[in-house]
Amino acid sequence: MKSPYEVLGVAPTASSADIQKAYRKLAKKLHPDLNPGDKSAEEKFKEVAGAYDLLSDADKRKRFDNGEIDASGAERPQQQYYRDFATADDGHPYTSSSGFADFMDADDALAELLRRSQQARANRRGEDLHYRLAIDFVESITGAMKRLTLPDGATLDVNIPPGLVDGQTLRLKGKGAPGRGKGGPGDALIEVEVLPDPRFARDGDNISLELPISLSEAVLGGEVRVPTPTGDVMMRIPKGSNTGTTLRLKGRGAPRRDGGHGDEFVKLKVVLPRSPDPELEAFVTNWSRGKDFNPREGRTS
Amino acid sequence: MNKDEFLTSSGLSVQTLEFWVEQQWLIPEETSAGQNFSDREIARARLVQNLKSEFGVNDEGIDVILHLLDQLHGLRSAFMQLHSGMRDTSG
Repeated sequence: MKSPYEVLGVAPTASSADIQKAYRKLAKKLHPDLNPGDKSAEEKFKEVAGAYDLLSDADKRKRFDNGEIDASGAERPQQQYYRDFATADDGHPYTSSSGFADFMDADDALAELLRRSQQARANRRGEDLHYRLAIDFVESITGAMKRLTLPDGATLDVNIPPGLVDGQTLRLKGKGAPGRGKGGPGDALIEVEVLPDPRFARDGDNISLELPISLSEAVLGGEVRVPTPTGDVMMRIPKGSNTGTTLRLKGRGAPRRDGGHGDEFVKLKVVLPRSPDPELEAFVTNWSRGKDFNPREGRTS
Repeated sequence: MNKDEFLTSSGLSVQTLEFWVEQQWLIPEETSAGQNFSDREIARARLVQNLKSEFGVNDEGIDVILHLLDQLHGLRSAFMQLHSGMRDTSG
């Protein structure tokens, strides 16, 4: 590693004025913002600036001369230079074309290219803006109108199409950042998160649901009310339905891309009365055929 | 970032910032909520600070340097556009 004196090209006996002079001379040549096209300028400048930071501080310089610290502690933290922003292609207000405006007036291919690029920058399309939106499961099936409040306080109405899936991105044309000149605005891209619904599960276009039924509904059958994303419907439970019996409600699922709807599958779950019922107990005690039935028949355990 | 946030992260005083904006060394975006500064203004402010405090450039000199530098970057932008335009037509 070079000593800071070598980096600045001064003698160890140099006065602080000489050190400043040497530093300024080098830094003017090496400052990354004064050398926008030189990628190595940043490293070189850092070295010179680090050496100057050490030697311009009388206390640090003394400790270095006494061997208490070495030059490695003199690194400047990473800095973002103006040159990293200056050529960004977004038509910022600082860029000046007065260095080559005369070339643009000429009548040749170069002038034409320059004019076109100038125009392209003047008529840039606005940027796409990204947003996130959470909706209820039911809204993802039926579709909905949602209002999004933007960071600047404006609002955006988002039409949720029926059948949307979790993570889908909606593009609202022209609702992004404004463009320049004739560039036109960008789009708003809205990533939609579908919040889970404890009742429903979705599998492609189909929806499944677990429906508790009473013992008497299971044994005798009957009409029960079943929730679907588009509202409750009445469903016939056949006599002798069991836990696990799955019934299909045709067309009550999510909309299909090619028209029509998927189905809702209703999986039944027989639930005994909440508190023990003496009448039921008495019946089951005397129900000999019930005791003869072994649902675990054929199993090894 | 707004003016207060910019003052905090650049370390400039209000008077200095107002003078620099008046000189158009910095051109913040004017919005309905007031002036809006970006990372570009931070980096540009740091450049001016470097020039003044480390290189001993006075205000007149800053004006000249920034004007030439902005032309240089204008040229670099045009050069980059030409470069990509040439690639598009040849490839």
